[in-house]
Amino acid sequence: MDRDLLRQALGCHGPALLSLLRTEQRDNPDFRGLLPPGGPSPESLRGGPHPPAARKERRIDNIEIQHFIAKKADLLFALSWKPNASADLESNEENEDYYAVMPPLEQFMEVPSEDRRELFFRDIERGDVVIGRISSIREFGFFMVLICLGSGVIREISQLEITALCPLRDVPSHSSHGDPLSYYQTGDIIQAAIKDIDRYHEKLTVSLHSSALPPNLANTKLGVISSEELPLHYRRSVEVASTSETYEKVLHHSLGFANPSVVEFLLGKLGLSESSPPSLMRGLQSKNFNEEDFAFALRKKQSASWALKCVKIGVDYFKVGRHVEAMNEYNKALEIDAQNVEALVARGALYATKESLNKAIDDFEVALENCPTHRNARKYLCQTLVERGGQLEEEDKLLNAESYYKKALTLDETFKEAEDALLKLHKHMQVILYFLLTLFIKIQALIKTVGSGKLFTGYCVLFL
Amino acid sequence: MERKAPTTWKWLWVHHDGAAFAVQSRLHPGTGHRGPSGGLSLKLVHGEGSRRRGLLTGWQCGTMEPDGASSDQTEPRSAENKTHFKVTRFIMEAGVKLGLRPIPVATACTIYHRFFQATVAPAPYDPYLVAMAALYLAGKVEEQHLRTRDIINVSHRYLHPQSEPLELDSHFWELRDSIVQCELLMLRVLGFRVSFQHPHKYLLHYLLSLKQWTNRHSWERTPVSAAAWALLQDSYHGGLCLRYLPQHVAVAVLHLALQCYGAEVPAHTEAERPWWEVFSEDLTKAQIDQIVLDLIQIYTLDAEIS
Repeated sequence: MDRDLLRQALGCHGPALLSLLRTEQRDNPDFRGLLPPGGPSPESLRGGPHPPAARKERRIDNIEIQHFIAKKADLLFALSWKPNASADLESNEENEDYYAVMPPLEQFMEVPSEDRRELFFRDIERGDVVIGRISSIREFGFFMVLICLGSGVIREISQLEITALCPLRDVPSHSSHGDPLSYYQTGDIIQAAIKDIDRYHEKLTVSLHSSALPPNLANTKLGVISSEELPLHYRRSVEVASTSETYEKVLHHSLGFANPSVVEFLLGKLGLSESSPPSLMRGLQSKNFNEEDFAFALRKKQSASWALKCVKIGVDYFKVGRHVEAMNEYNKALEIDAQNVEALVARGALYATKESLNKAIDDFEVALENCPTHRNARKYLCQTLVERGGQLEEEDKLLNAESYYKKALTLDETFKEAEDALLKLHKHMQVILYFLLTLFIKIQALIKTVGSGKLFTGYCVLFL
Repeated sequence: MERKAPTTWKWLWVHHDGAAFAVQSRLHPGTGHRGPSGGLSLKLVHGEGSRRRGLLTGWQCGTMEPDGASSDQTEPRSAENKTHFKVTRFIMEAGVKLGLRPIPVATACTIYHRFFQATVAPAPYDPYLVAMAALYLAGKVEEQHLRTRDIINVSHRYLHPQSEPLELDSHFWELRDSIVQCELLMLRVLGFRVSFQHPHKYLLHYLLSLKQWTNRHSWERTPVSAAAWALLQDSYHGGLCLRYLPQHVAVAVLHLALQCYGAEVPAHTEAERPWWEVFSEDLTKAQIDQIVLDLIQIYTLDAEIS
């Protein structure tokens, strides 16, 4: 439970809310700690005294709202609702195509300049990007008048005549010698990063070094920019100042407003979740939803069940020997659920019966991948591997056959047939090897004898 | 036309030139308004001429009772509101479970509300079937197409918790048929006007503008966006979408969210124009208060039902 938020709400609505909260949230353990029965008097944290007249005027509507706040307080002030901070860290580019980029709100509200100035100096932070025009160049640096902001908060400051100083040491040099300031002229538009703020004296120091930028904005170009590179919100605000269009008109005229995915984009920008939307209804808290009730999970379960029915029908066909219909059923089952283990095993068995051993092996392997504990899949796979090995042995592809037998053994060490077949194969191979070896020795001897010129002895050696 | 139709006839479609089709629906006895387990399979069984399904033009849907039969509006009205509340709750929960984005869910709720606004009360349509068809239609309208199989699965599970998914039998196909037929009915009732402007876009842009204007730390501390978004989505339980303009609803929701946290728009009193007037020129404070009260009413209805 967020104490500061609660205090802020109490400060606005007054002691009536406090008593309502106590009655509604009596059973909530989080609140008991925050609101001791004696009750602290709600302090207003927002600075400045409320004019009592304004408070009284709101009081009549407020009762309903206060009831509402009191009832929903455990949801409203829950810590899990903090906006996603990482949304801010994404680049601050104003992409007109994705959403409607609007001029600053205070321009439409027509806030007086003193307040705008005050709020600007309250809210500006180090590392913010500002854009201004050089007003004068001195030997210790240059002064610029700010026209708009490039990151952080977006404000309308062009009429406020805020000046900032960029000292000499913060101007990167463009040539190896000479005065770095000579590169700049009065009237140039400069994009710079705020380095230092003196809020009381309303003095700003900026820098043109990228080290002054925060890490997420490190790619921003600092230095001279052209008027086309001025941010879109500023150009819009200049247009609005001349045409005095309303907020709504600007919104409707923006191309980005008509973007079909504007909602998704802005949800991301504001840090709101799409898949588990926040709700103030007690029954709609999405964290209470069971994973099994979701469409994806239900579909999987249903597909598995439907596929199983087809497999059963197929097996019945198989038992009476109608292999074609059985294959059709298995294929149908696999169309419904491509990873269905039973269907794969059944189809593999059918292939094996029809002597398409390679296809059978493929099916069994996929089945075993999906469900490594399936006994039948393992058993049939081993049997088919051994059978295939036997076929290969007859074709004299002995090494291939050996690999199949070995594979069968790795799958199931206790598989007697595989072991026997492997032993037999090895014996077979030994015989061949022995034969080859003796042949080799004989040839060696022959070469020796031929080399030494004794042909007759050579022939004898060969025929031995 | 007979005054009291036989019990199996549930809907009576009357063509504007007087030809009448009666549509048979089969409801399992005793399920009352329970959803698709009863199902409403529409079969055109009786027609003049040779018009069968598919060639319907200019239909008006109505009930058996002649107009003005029910004099007492308040009792059935509040019972109706409760039903609509429960069914829109179902739409929103199903929307999450089907992975629907916020806008299609809002469209589905609006279609549902408009349908029941357009039909004479008490309407004999099964509200859950209408809701399922609304979801299907909204998915098509907002380009996030849903499969009827998924809708049926989620709804069946919602209405019969912990049950097994349906088998591929005639019951399943009938349900699917019902949804498709109901969708056509809804389109006709709404005059094929099923594309709406929702407050969501407006609210998000307002939030973005407001975010730029407030101090970034107080914005991060105060979850105004989450609260406003929650309020907006919850508002679809009632018929706010039918009565007010989208911009007005967005502003009212934002206003309530700010009030909940005691947050204020900076320089609100010093500005020439208040912020809500900036967002929507023809909006007055009184209208905002009315919308906020309506919204709070929806939440009290929630408390009554649960």
